[in-house]
Amino acid sequence: MSEKRTPFVRLAKRTDIDPKKAWLIRVASIVVALILGCIPMLFTGTNPIEAYSVIVQGSLLRPVYFRQTVKIAIPLLGCALAIAPCFKMRFWNIGAEGQITMGAMCATYFALYWVDKVPSAVLLVIMFLASLVGGGLWALIPAFFKAKWNTNETLFTLMMNYIAIGIVAWLQGGPWEGRKGSQLIPMFDDAARLPNLFGVHIGWIFVLVLVVLMHIYMNKTKQGYEIAVIGDSQNTARYAGMNVGAIIMRTMFISGAISGFVGFMTVSGANYTLYSGVADNVGFTAITVAWLSQLNAFAMIFISMLLAVISKGANTLQTRLQVPASISDIITGILLFAMLSCEFFINYRLIFRKKGEEVEA
Amino acid sequence: MKKTLALFMVALIAITSLFANGGAETTAAVADDGTRTIKVGLICIGDENDQGYTYNFIRGRDEATAILAEEGINVEWMTIYNIGEDSSCIDANIEAAEEGCEIIINNSYGFEPYMLEVVDDYPDIEFISCTNCASWNDGRENTHNAFANIYEGRYIAGVVAGMKLQEMIDNGEITPEEAVIGYVGAYSFAEVISGFTSYFLGARSVCPSVTMKVSFVGSWSDATAESDAALALIDEGCVMISQHSDNTTPATAAQSRGVYHTGYNNDMTGIAPAASLIGTRIDWGIYFSEAIRAYANGEPIPQDWCKGMAEGAVVMTPLNEAIAAPGTAEKIAEVEAALADGSLQVFDTSTFTVNGETLTHAFALDTDGDFTADSVEAVHDGAFHESEAQSAPYFTVQIDGIQWLNSAY
Amino acid sequence: MNTLVTLITAGITFGTVLLYGTLGEILTEKSGSLNLGVEGIMYMGGAFGLAGAFYYEKAAGGIGNGPVAIVIAILAAFAAGALASAIYSFLTITLRTNQNVTGLALSIFGTGVGQFVGEFMRVSEGGYVALSNPLKEAFSATIWPDALIRIPILGPILFSHTIFFYLAIVLAIVMSLFLNRTRKGLYLRAVGESPSTSDAAGIDTTRYRYLATIIGGGISAIGGMVYIMTTAGCVWNHEGLAGVGWLAVALVIFCIWRPLNAIWGSVIFGAMMIMYLRVSLPFIPTEIYKILPYVVTVIVLIITSMRNSRDKQPPASLGLNYFREER
Repeated sequence: MSEKRTPFVRLAKRTDIDPKKAWLIRVASIVVALILGCIPMLFTGTNPIEAYSVIVQGSLLRPVYFRQTVKIAIPLLGCALAIAPCFKMRFWNIGAEGQITMGAMCATYFALYWVDKVPSAVLLVIMFLASLVGGGLWALIPAFFKAKWNTNETLFTLMMNYIAIGIVAWLQGGPWEGRKGSQLIPMFDDAARLPNLFGVHIGWIFVLVLVVLMHIYMNKTKQGYEIAVIGDSQNTARYAGMNVGAIIMRTMFISGAISGFVGFMTVSGANYTLYSGVADNVGFTAITVAWLSQLNAFAMIFISMLLAVISKGANTLQTRLQVPASISDIITGILLFAMLSCEFFINYRLIFRKKGEEVEA
Repeated sequence: MKKTLALFMVALIAITSLFANGGAETTAAVADDGTRTIKVGLICIGDENDQGYTYNFIRGRDEATAILAEEGINVEWMTIYNIGEDSSCIDANIEAAEEGCEIIINNSYGFEPYMLEVVDDYPDIEFISCTNCASWNDGRENTHNAFANIYEGRYIAGVVAGMKLQEMIDNGEITPEEAVIGYVGAYSFAEVISGFTSYFLGARSVCPSVTMKVSFVGSWSDATAESDAALALIDEGCVMISQHSDNTTPATAAQSRGVYHTGYNNDMTGIAPAASLIGTRIDWGIYFSEAIRAYANGEPIPQDWCKGMAEGAVVMTPLNEAIAAPGTAEKIAEVEAALADGSLQVFDTSTFTVNGETLTHAFALDTDGDFTADSVEAVHDGAFHESEAQSAPYFTVQIDGIQWLNSAY
Repeated sequence: MNTLVTLITAGITFGTVLLYGTLGEILTEKSGSLNLGVEGIMYMGGAFGLAGAFYYEKAAGGIGNGPVAIVIAILAAFAAGALASAIYSFLTITLRTNQNVTGLALSIFGTGVGQFVGEFMRVSEGGYVALSNPLKEAFSATIWPDALIRIPILGPILFSHTIFFYLAIVLAIVMSLFLNRTRKGLYLRAVGESPSTSDAAGIDTTRYRYLATIIGGGISAIGGMVYIMTTAGCVWNHEGLAGVGWLAVALVIFCIWRPLNAIWGSVIFGAMMIMYLRVSLPFIPTEIYKILPYVVTVIVLIITSMRNSRDKQPPASLGLNYFREER
């Protein structure tokens, strides 16, 4: 490195970008992603404009479809809210999948075995509390080892997902099985189901309330401040006298409990039974929802709805135009790539070298 | 912040107003020339690539279309592939209903509980759950079940396998004790138990020394596990493999280890020409055409449909003459005739024992929903009568001579 | 004894799939990139490997040459995996996106692409996509003469496998030598441990990360192809690869980032996944067998972090991006 030459492109960190411009860049990235999403459509010989209009029709423009879309968005939003405090703390919890499953499992126990013992409202409250404890404790395990021995939490939480899923798979074919050999847990009794409001289970109200609560928790409370400090620097937090280990465990418990709650809503409001795939990759997708929203609780509503629209719309796309429904994963993936990349252009300026003078882009 | 909140409120209002007006569209298409076009949804657990279970439904679909077209009934199919036995099945049924299907067929056993969550919202649409059993006592008009007496076909496949084993014994290739069949089952579940028991009884009717080992894989369709299970059975000394699972991997596994195989759902001799002797399958075209014709003519679709070999609902795939024992084709014809005229009962209680004793009693139906059969005697006139009280099988007895390797499923 | 032999032999079949996935991820992680997209990469490898062989046979008029088809399948799978990882590398290294999130996005994207291509082939070819029997045979045949396979005990364990197993072993040995015995391997490990120090020492960190991640992704993708072309019988299987990629990520930890450990580790993992079909212990439910690989991985993870021995840790900068100006 003896000779220093100015490279063709170099980067400079932007310090103050106009928030309006930042959001403009983000919207532009979505547009770019949707244009790139045309490639697989053209590949199957489908007109992209027609395809996108089917996606919109199949997800928003009919009441039943709109309800279906909301039903997909509820767990995504709920789980993104659960993940936000962990990621703020730079604790990479990718175990929401397992925490949802555990919450769902604990709620299901009461739905199956307490249904005759208590009235419906009490049963639902018990299921709710059980799901919080189940998801919370499951999340606490990796947090404990992180706090105590600095065990890598990304890998630990990842493994915990498959252990949780395996336990439910065992219950499904074992103690909780309905008809012998069927591997199906019986459908919940009506008493163990969440009531509907406007055609969708009332979980949609809960998650919207949770949006506000999480916003307040993250931005207005002492605990939210502690999380932010640890996220910036664990050392600073220690110098400031914070018990970092305890805060990590507390935050993970809260995160896991909310994921568990999502599991409860899913079994009690949408699926009406438990099976090993109950989390259905929500735990993973929600991570991208949380991150793309810049951990902003209100932005998560928009992002989760966007992904739900693609997911639901792709089903109709398959039934109407025979485009494989897996296209929703492709478009979602492209969208995530584009939105992740756009943060770079928000945070950095590119400076091109051009015959002595510098040009900005 | 305020702006976000305002935006959010607007969105909320938009949402609630959208929720408020419900109601589905229904379409009725009658052409000018009097022919009717009926839109039928078919929700499948897999796709044609399984070359087994779902492929067999697709064949039934195409066959029914051809039969009905000649009668002036056009069927427009909406096939939805690769749906799991989970809540995505609810979504698929809603999707099919909303897209204008008048009849919706669910092809897998585990779809029914989810289908039943949707049926009440669409009273004008007929819902059919193949291989399951809720409709006879769920009190609904628009739900139906269907299955066929596949145990008859399995019995014959068993006869073919037994003749091959007996030939191997007679030629000195194996000892009588080494005539062991390995059976890859999905779950330890009535449909599967009924299937492998009839298969075993068929084999034993022509090869008295035969025994059987059953390995359950815990999935209707898991190509890896099915292959592994077949290999494990072969490693345990099985020289004949059969299966009740959706894929062709047991056939390829048998071929790779030089043992024989009989198939289900499809002719697997193309995939494993040196191993697969014969297969048996349900011809869904018979049922599909009957049900859709009834609907088109304004007649009710049978609530619980079950037919057998005599009506063509169960068929054998072509015999692999190159490797089957001599005289097999004649024997098949003989057994088919005996099954048709009733002189042969598959579950003849004089041909098997349970814990050393003859079976004298077994219930067929579960009326109180606790998943244990509690009414309607299935054993009478010297035989266990399968699929008589309801279309879905209910034979769950473990007979002597069949060893369950893993019963946890 | 016989049960053990057959268990190991069968374990190798599934273990080979894992071995490719794991070797690729080891190379990737050694450079400091935690690519959680392995699941998607393996899906893509499976779909494109099958597509490569299938369209080759079609172009050859239905009479394909076995070795050529195998080479094409390997190249197609590798290219798909490398392309997917190139996206990941561009985003995380050049555009500095979060590795965890980008990896998850890749796993969603790759799964979608794999399933889409598999479905598209089925629809466009009118229902059923498979190779002809002779080509299937070429993919599933062993490369050794019968006499060797018949050697008691050692025969089935060592000589009854497909060519992919032996290629993977060679790959593991080469990778181990590369990482531990060559200068470039040393540099690569240095980048994974401390990019800033290596940067200061004049190592082109960006280049090393890019190359390791892209080549690693290509290797992982071959695993998906091996699954589709051997276990699944050269037919696209919609759900067959679900979870395999994540298992490969677990295996990387289990073998503490060492390619040679991955050889026996993959056999153990492979055996654990099918043990329920072969070793029946009445008091252990079958589903519990299937979580064993994850449980032992967690235990390994905990023990290594408790003992804190330096040579058994993840690469120090794993999961972290490197910004030179923040040095």
